[in-house]
Amino acid sequence: MTAILQIFFDALSLGSLYALGALGIALIFGVMRLVNFAHGDYIAFCVFAMLWPSIDAAAVVFAGQLPVYALIPLILAIGAGISVLSEILVFRRFRNANPATMMIASFALGFVVKYTLLLMYSSRPKSIDLWSNLSLPVEILGARIPLLQVITICITIIVLLLLTVFLKRTRFGLEMRAAAENFTMARMLGVRANRVIMLAFALSGMLAAAVGLILATQTGTVDIQMGASIMLVAFIATVIGGLGSLPGAVVAGFLIGGASSLMQVILPPDARPFKDAFVYSAVIVTLIWRPNGLFTQNSAKQRV
Amino acid sequence: MNLLKVDNVTVSYGQLTALRNMSMHIAEGETLFVTGPNGAGKSTLLKAIAGVVTPREGSITLSGHPVAGTAPEDIARMGFSMVPEGRHVFGSLTIDENLRLGSAMRRDKDVAARDLEQIYQVFPMLNDRKDSHAGVLSGGQQQMLVIGRALMAGPKLIAIDEPSLGLAPKVIDDVYAILLKLRDGRGLTLLIVEQSATRAMLTGGRMILMRGGEAVLEGDARELTKGNALKKAYFGYGDH
Amino acid sequence: MANHPSILSRTISTPIILVGVLLVIALVAVGAGSGPFTRTIVEMFIRVMIVVGLYTFIGNSGVISFGHIGFMCLGAYATAWFTIPPAMKKISLRGLPDFIAQHQLPFIVSVILATLFAGIFAYIFGRILMRLSGIAASIATFAMLAVINSVYSNWESVTGATSSIVGIPMRTGLWTSFIGAVIAVIAAYAYAISRSGLALRAARDEATAASASGVDIARERLRAFVISGLIIGFAGALYAHFLGVVNPDAFYLGLTFVTLSMLVVGGMNSLSGAVLGVVVLSLIIQVLRWLEKGVTLGSSTISIPNGTQEISIGIIMIVILMFRPAGLTRNTELAWKGWPFSRVSENNRSP
Repeated sequence: MTAILQIFFDALSLGSLYALGALGIALIFGVMRLVNFAHGDYIAFCVFAMLWPSIDAAAVVFAGQLPVYALIPLILAIGAGISVLSEILVFRRFRNANPATMMIASFALGFVVKYTLLLMYSSRPKSIDLWSNLSLPVEILGARIPLLQVITICITIIVLLLLTVFLKRTRFGLEMRAAAENFTMARMLGVRANRVIMLAFALSGMLAAAVGLILATQTGTVDIQMGASIMLVAFIATVIGGLGSLPGAVVAGFLIGGASSLMQVILPPDARPFKDAFVYSAVIVTLIWRPNGLFTQNSAKQRV
Repeated sequence: MNLLKVDNVTVSYGQLTALRNMSMHIAEGETLFVTGPNGAGKSTLLKAIAGVVTPREGSITLSGHPVAGTAPEDIARMGFSMVPEGRHVFGSLTIDENLRLGSAMRRDKDVAARDLEQIYQVFPMLNDRKDSHAGVLSGGQQQMLVIGRALMAGPKLIAIDEPSLGLAPKVIDDVYAILLKLRDGRGLTLLIVEQSATRAMLTGGRMILMRGGEAVLEGDARELTKGNALKKAYFGYGDH
Repeated sequence: MANHPSILSRTISTPIILVGVLLVIALVAVGAGSGPFTRTIVEMFIRVMIVVGLYTFIGNSGVISFGHIGFMCLGAYATAWFTIPPAMKKISLRGLPDFIAQHQLPFIVSVILATLFAGIFAYIFGRILMRLSGIAASIATFAMLAVINSVYSNWESVTGATSSIVGIPMRTGLWTSFIGAVIAVIAAYAYAISRSGLALRAARDEATAASASGVDIARERLRAFVISGLIIGFAGALYAHFLGVVNPDAFYLGLTFVTLSMLVVGGMNSLSGAVLGVVVLSLIIQVLRWLEKGVTLGSSTISIPNGTQEISIGIIMIVILMFRPAGLTRNTELAWKGWPFSRVSENNRSP
């Protein structure tokens, strides 16, 4: 029983991380049909921001020394900041470009961010002590679960609730949902294009910051490639969930996290290193079964 | 006083010229029908007015203000509302949300709230299902929804692209009945793109016939549909 | 229609020009004489092969594939298995079946077999994936890449897992890679002017109309997928013989995005774009590398700070795309008579 509980929390916390990542991608994809490949680098950027201005190998966390209630809003703001800056400087010029061009532009942007970080901080992963007491286990129903896992899950739930309230109950949320479904029609009803897009980028950036904070606390290291693996899964989850569907992205993130944790356990020991191969094969099967994603919009089909 | 004036507008999609030197105008309170065969440029005309496409040449003015090349959301704020072809409800939003979106940009929230009530009175079937997702509505109901939504913006000029498309005749009758009632109640100016010249004749008003991207005929709807001039202009040949 | 010139005669100038460009570059390398520079040019030729292979599928079908570098991995490791001396295979790759472990094939035979190996997998994967369309297919190719990477990074007895396997005969020199690039260009061109290529492009531009005209979209896509898999598998094999070592990480996200970028920046829907994208970006990268080391002009030395090379190339790519969203070639081809056989462009004259 305790073993099952541990696996459950494992799956849930990994899934939470993926869900947050997928949400960050899906928000922007919803309004702009852009897959932002720089998202993973925003995650790294936010984490490195905590180190500034120190560049030593054993990170002296400057901003990280701030108390929780100051550090978290600061990092969230930094995430929102770099995201919005990307939109203003880069993505705005690509509003009408084809998907491939936008995608490569976002990749190039991520490249620039990553190598700027590299230039400033060097490539060796640094260790960081961020709330390391959170990895101590707590007892839940007899199982010993790392506190951080519980916190990750709670944070994700809170984020999802806040986002849902925002989208369903506020005027801006309404505008964003409409813009995500039919951008041009929304504009014809007076929805301001730039404002909605900037809002999406800001929210997405904050999500990247949240993921960064969790990863840094979890792994105790700060490394340029931090966001890369999350980015890959987030991208896949966004599509499997159903393009433009935020709930879909979240569910898909949890599913992939769950599948990954499950595989870790049910695969025979010899096959365990190939866990990823199984998970990604499952992704392919899911796509064949449901090519349009798990949650499709039930709006009217396009006439030819 | 001309509410809308389109002057020598040319719009091209790449190599294809959809509007060439198109000119037209609507006076306040008028009802104008724009008719013509497929590909005549009627939808493009509306899109140009709405700001969705930018004319290569020419000017468009709304209440005297030039709007060619302005963003659609700004044109909407100048009192222009458009119902594009194909209805385009926001299927993932509820009926109520669709309607409230229409008034999202209005500052006079109390008047907007009263407008919403009135729309529900005029369209009772929308009121019945106001918390259902708009995607489950029938064609006619969706048409009512988008008209209601366009009205929620409190516009002076409404342009509707093909309101009858895909709807059964009885439903079209209902749609038009409500449209005209709303027009008279609020003193709206209507610009309707309509394939069916008969409908224009029944409704009355002015009519413009477009072909090949320009206006080839203009006059009173009832007179034009009775005579041969329309047939000639529409099909390219006349009296039989 | 008997007098209508064949599509071959109308478009043959494109591959001729492209091969000419490559030849000039090869001759420059011979002239420059230096070892490192030649190595850079060999890498460039191999990248031309990759990007041309990408174009063959992506440009004609309109489906962005993230997975093709997986075929490079397959081809590279396959030729490694065939050509590493049996003595070394016995130690490091115990899981290989006997008929591979005990033999060592000559270079050309191995490369051909490795190419076919990649092609077979392209066929297998392709049959599964080609029913999907658009974004679903793209993600599926991404998943395919991840599967290949996961398998090759963990199957220690057969692939050496994440350690590099060494001992591959280094047979890819300047002219070998040049020939490889030329073969790739010719193959891509031949496919593009074939009925299948034409049908696929029709489906790319207007799927419903093409389908209604009798085009079996899935089958044509599969053809393009397999041919592109062959080309890229070939590139992988030559690459293995160039480096002498292989490692799964070399065939994953980094190379995927670099090559996709070169394709898009060059012009996704044109063969010339594929070649030009590689040549231009490689040139810019090389210039930036020199600038980082420091270039003396007369009495002064210009140099850029270390580490700004990559930042600069990223910025340059963004700027190019800002001004040419359709890529450098704007989706037309380099040709004598300006015949665009890819997407109809604004410059197309009507008959």
